[in-house]
Amino acid sequence: MKILVPIKRVVDYNVRVQVKPSGSVDLDNVKMSMNPFDEIAVEEAIRLKEQNKAKEIIAISIGPAQASETIRTALAMGADKGILVQSPERLEPLNVAKILKAIADKEKPDLIILGKQAIDDDCNQTGQMLAALLNWPQGTFASKLELNGDSITVTREVDGGLQTLALKRPAIITTDLRLNEPRYATLPNIMKAKKKPIEQTTPESYGINPAPRLEILETLPPKEREGGVKVESIKELVEKLRSEAGIL
Amino acid sequence: MPQAKTLETIARIIGAKNLLTHPSDTKPYLTEWRENYRGKALCIALPLSPKDISEIVKLAAKEKLHIVPQSGNTGLVGGQIPFDKNRAILVSLARMNKIRELNPTNNSITAEAGCILANLHHTAETANRLFPLTLASKGSSQLGGLLATNAGGHNVLRYGMARDLTLGLECVLANGKIWHGLRALRKDNRGYDLKNLFIGSEGTLGIITAAVLKLFPIPKGETTFLAGLQTPQQALDCFHWAQARSGGALSAFELIPRIGMDFVLKHIPETRDPIRNPSPCYLLGALDSEISAEDASEKAQAILSELMEKNLIKDAVLASSEARREALWKLRESMSEAQKREGASLKHDISVPLSKMARFLEEAEAAVKAFLPEARIVAFGHIGDGNLHINISQPVGMSADGFLALREKIGRILYDLVESFDGSISAEHGIGVLKRDELARRKSQTELEMMRQIKRALDPDNLFNPGKLL
Repeated sequence: MKILVPIKRVVDYNVRVQVKPSGSVDLDNVKMSMNPFDEIAVEEAIRLKEQNKAKEIIAISIGPAQASETIRTALAMGADKGILVQSPERLEPLNVAKILKAIADKEKPDLIILGKQAIDDDCNQTGQMLAALLNWPQGTFASKLELNGDSITVTREVDGGLQTLALKRPAIITTDLRLNEPRYATLPNIMKAKKKPIEQTTPESYGINPAPRLEILETLPPKEREGGVKVESIKELVEKLRSEAGIL
Repeated sequence: MPQAKTLETIARIIGAKNLLTHPSDTKPYLTEWRENYRGKALCIALPLSPKDISEIVKLAAKEKLHIVPQSGNTGLVGGQIPFDKNRAILVSLARMNKIRELNPTNNSITAEAGCILANLHHTAETANRLFPLTLASKGSSQLGGLLATNAGGHNVLRYGMARDLTLGLECVLANGKIWHGLRALRKDNRGYDLKNLFIGSEGTLGIITAAVLKLFPIPKGETTFLAGLQTPQQALDCFHWAQARSGGALSAFELIPRIGMDFVLKHIPETRDPIRNPSPCYLLGALDSEISAEDASEKAQAILSELMEKNLIKDAVLASSEARREALWKLRESMSEAQKREGASLKHDISVPLSKMARFLEEAEAAVKAFLPEARIVAFGHIGDGNLHINISQPVGMSADGFLALREKIGRILYDLVESFDGSISAEHGIGVLKRDELARRKSQTELEMMRQIKRALDPDNLFNPGKLL
């Protein structure tokens, strides 16, 4: 069985981003890492391989040249090879899904596991769009995954409980936070990963124009939080809730 | 003046609501965080300015009271706790938490004694600068105490201790005068370096109210790694190799023994073992790069590969994200907390010359085990600085009180050994009340006499923090 794992290079989850005066997010000298949900996807694929349920794992990243670092991280965790689709453009989920469809058509995987969303744009669309383009079943927000021959059982965390789905492969799985805890890449595996192949392509080689269709009009930082105040009495508290907070 | 009148006067200086006397209000200030010390005081005063403090000092001198300064109350040797119900005024610096100036051109920040360390970090970051002093209690420790105890932490390797990071001070002296020494000069050779008397004085010479601190450029990239190895000697071999190979870019190098790792994994939520196969001990290191995070990572990979080829390390992991970096550091920083939950422990913050560290550790372990065979020895910490925390947890099945009763005997065994290795019985925690007698016993008469002369010159009436240090 072959698994594709699309991964995205994003601003590190712990970095507090700043908005530049020009109205875009300042990405100069900012720590970049693999999207945490994608890390969970890589880990799940590796676990399937360790259980002898998968043979090959291909990590795909679409983005700038430095996205190859992100692929190396996946290779160091245990993926077998990488595909870097180099594109300088800001990518929208539909374009990403189209590129991934083209790769899936070529690679013919049994499973595509990807993060439910990227933490930079929080779109939460790529997996679903890819399922539609490929016309494959999808198990989104997976918190548990079981493979039995051709059938896949996916447990999803939904409002008010758990939902269990049975899918037939090939299928799309998008990962939720509780699916697993990704491993650390060990030094010997990091060194081995340097020798694993990364295929370099472009969106154009799949016949896809990566130009965005949406225009970003404005980027604003969240409103600065004002410091708290101590009130002397309940009467004053109620008054402030009414006049300042507008809650009452 | 009767006590009530004294309290009234203090209340007039700082405002009635900033004077605490009720037990429920004073308890957090009078209890050391591990509850090893429970103090007593006439009152807790929370002044807002050096002038307020100066007036309190003058009043205390007149009324023959004394003053115990306190900031974040995170000290480990009882230096911040008063013990006199009738005569001690605890002066808390907590309200004096203003950043007076952030000057990126000067690479300096001027901050008041009540500033929390983590806030100093964040403020420096807003100017794209680094204030490198950092330790496990950074979320609650405050500048005044960090300076009064010359705090260390895990960036000492690259940036030095609190003393090395201080350019100027503002202090309230025993005669009530305010010393305005807030200079931002890198070079100033006009006689005695007065600020260095107050840094590390543990509140016995004056009250530090503000300081000018050095800032540094933020390294462009950083990488953190954890490696498993067999012995502390190997950790030292790794250290020397890594330091030479990295060209001084190592910013941290910490030793974690397996038993400490086990305590953390058992007691601290959301921790896990980063390396699948356990090792007898670990080193946690960090390496900076002036180019990029990728460069730091590449360098660390190269060094660690060499160490693996030399059979010095068995396995290693590198943090691939900030969250992973924090998770690795959490293992180290939770060590004290985890040990506390494992039962009673006796702590020894010692340093020996690096060249003697491995032999010292071997002998120390043997000596403690000869005295108490079931002792659980957790020796961890800043091995790159020649500083280890040799903390001993109570044997399984032994009562906490029974174990703590051995405090003196175990301390004697370890400190005798430290002395024979030309080390220090207090590397970074200070003396306080915990090690006062030990200091008197072990420091040379010549040194003790110089210290007493300085104390007499600056605080002739023993107004500041009596019973501590000397």
